[in-house]
Amino acid sequence: MPSEHPRHNVVLLSLSLVGLLVWLALDTVSVAPNRIVPGTSHGLAESLGWGGVLVSALPLLALAALARRPTPKALRIALGLVVVQLAALPLWLSLAAHRLVDPGAVGARLGIGAGVWLLLFLLLMLLVELRSRLAISRLAGVALLVVPLAVFGLCLTQWLAPLALWQEVQGRRDQFQGAILEHLALVGVAVGVSLVLGVAAALAMRRWQAAQRIGFGVLNFLQTIPSIALFGLLLAPLAWLSAHVEWLAALGVSGIGWAPALLALVGYSLLPMVRNTFVALEAVDPGVIDAARGMGMSRGQVFRQVRLPLALPVILEGVRITTVQAIGLTAVAALIGAGGLGTFIFQGLGQAAMDLVLLGALPILVLALVADALLGALSDTLRPGGAE
Amino acid sequence: MIDLIHVTKRFGAATAVDDISLSVARGELCVLVGTSGCGKSTTLRMINRLIEHSEGEIHIDGQQIRDFREESLRRRMGYAIQSTGLFPHWTVARNIGLVPRLLKWPAAKVRARVEELMALLGLSMEEFADKYPHQLSGGQAQRVGVARALAADPEILLMDEPFGALDPLTRESLQEELRELQSRLQKTIVFVTHDMDEALRLADHLVVMHQGRIKQQGRPLELLREPTDAFVESLLGGEDRGLKEAALLPVSQRMLPLGPRLLARERIGQQASLREALSLMLWRHAERLTVVDDDDLPVGELSLRRLVGVRSDD
Repeated sequence: MPSEHPRHNVVLLSLSLVGLLVWLALDTVSVAPNRIVPGTSHGLAESLGWGGVLVSALPLLALAALARRPTPKALRIALGLVVVQLAALPLWLSLAAHRLVDPGAVGARLGIGAGVWLLLFLLLMLLVELRSRLAISRLAGVALLVVPLAVFGLCLTQWLAPLALWQEVQGRRDQFQGAILEHLALVGVAVGVSLVLGVAAALAMRRWQAAQRIGFGVLNFLQTIPSIALFGLLLAPLAWLSAHVEWLAALGVSGIGWAPALLALVGYSLLPMVRNTFVALEAVDPGVIDAARGMGMSRGQVFRQVRLPLALPVILEGVRITTVQAIGLTAVAALIGAGGLGTFIFQGLGQAAMDLVLLGALPILVLALVADALLGALSDTLRPGGAE
Repeated sequence: MIDLIHVTKRFGAATAVDDISLSVARGELCVLVGTSGCGKSTTLRMINRLIEHSEGEIHIDGQQIRDFREESLRRRMGYAIQSTGLFPHWTVARNIGLVPRLLKWPAAKVRARVEELMALLGLSMEEFADKYPHQLSGGQAQRVGVARALAADPEILLMDEPFGALDPLTRESLQEELRELQSRLQKTIVFVTHDMDEALRLADHLVVMHQGRIKQQGRPLELLREPTDAFVESLLGGEDRGLKEAALLPVSQRMLPLGPRLLARERIGQQASLREALSLMLWRHAERLTVVDDDDLPVGELSLRRLVGVRSDD
């Protein structure tokens, strides 16, 4: 079927050429003697040597060449190359650390340069593009990342001790784990509560027209309040409550901390949750419902056996959107002392320590991507008639 | 079997069905036909109480439908609709077994019944049982819809434009199959359509509706011969009425016994319609046809004069 494939895959071609450009032109790493002093940047040739430049650039050239005749076979080879390069990135960093960081210098730090970050980003974009071209499921797409992550883990323990990010983690190991758990707990509880409330609200809206109008009005309004402002607005009433209601105070409710964060997160999560659940339940083919009732199913049977299962993938889509949104919003909640990974971001901003900011931002990014992929895959498998 | 007695349905101020009375005998195929919005679907849906009638009485087997629980009433009647209404998340086999399972038949009996029905409707078990509705063609999906409607062996079948969305060829073959099923199974069927050819082809009892009222009802040929007013006449085909009638009459009704003359070259089966015979004459420029039986043996002859109904054949 050669006619079905365009002659060039423009996306593949441009992503790989831009990748080559940033890899060659931008800084690869920076090295600093300690945490305070700004580091010196090093280009690709300095970091890897000319042999390294050649070897690391070849796969990108090969990708660009493959883009010229994108047959399924060529695309599968390209996918393999992308995964190999993702796995190679930590190895190149290890090589740079070996060449540039004096093993005797205690506290010397290796920073990751713009070239590496951008190439990482472009490679992930390539992965997404190739995954959709080859119609690989989301779950399999995630599975492809296992090898690069394993290589990264290995490099961290063996050769990447000077990596600045890693040193930040090492210095705050307990804090880091605690922050991740806090973050996940906040997101989990917020999504769980809003799922229960959201489904209840959507059901009420389906029953009563008035509830539908008022409900969406309130939720839309809630969504437009900026998150910081909402945290601020909750401060006073919660502080008053904890001062006057003893058991609430005993529970740890106060004007700052997890209570206002959770309330705000639930508030923001409700709209996507309610809207998706409502639309999902409404959008079921009326012919199917008509047939179900005409066959003699009771209202409960129609809901449980027909409407709900058919709506489930779209409802899960709502859970996915809500979860990803909540993972991001929880970062802001650190401002009012709710903990979580946002703490590092704001600490880092305060100390102008970029590595500390990244320590908070990167796990948030990873959590969001993983949640997105897992829930998306779950919703895919629940589509009628299995995977399509 | 089904009796509607002075039934009226109002939606707010609008009257959708206005004081209609209708009796469908056991084993009869009753077709409700009319333009869209004439109340034919509403009438059908009142019979299984998907819509509650406002006035009058509806009886099934002499019993008021309001004496039944809604669900048990519907489980006694098959229901097939234009969009098929197959559950997209269930396999073909599970879809067909729906009503038997609602009636709590044991699993083995359900399975046997599903197999029986799939065979009845010409759907091979290996090929289709585990498919999902989106993998079926329109005709196959509608067959599954009919199989599902027949699943619990109901005495009554309600069909709301079941073949409306199909291409003409598939529609005709399904109409043929329905006629054949009907002659074998002797169900009482109420069938709604806006397609007059379909109505004439299927109906034992034809009911023409217009603006919520029954304009005329009776046997298809009666309506064709003696429409009570201009609306029924135009709906029944206006200038095409002669051809529509010819399509309903078999050749055997007009043929003469074999005479002393030579057999005509062109042959036609005795079960074919007069319309087909006329078409053959036009096509072959023939004035006479030899009528043959199922074994292709001559049993009579048909002249153009006889075909068009001139009594003497001089």
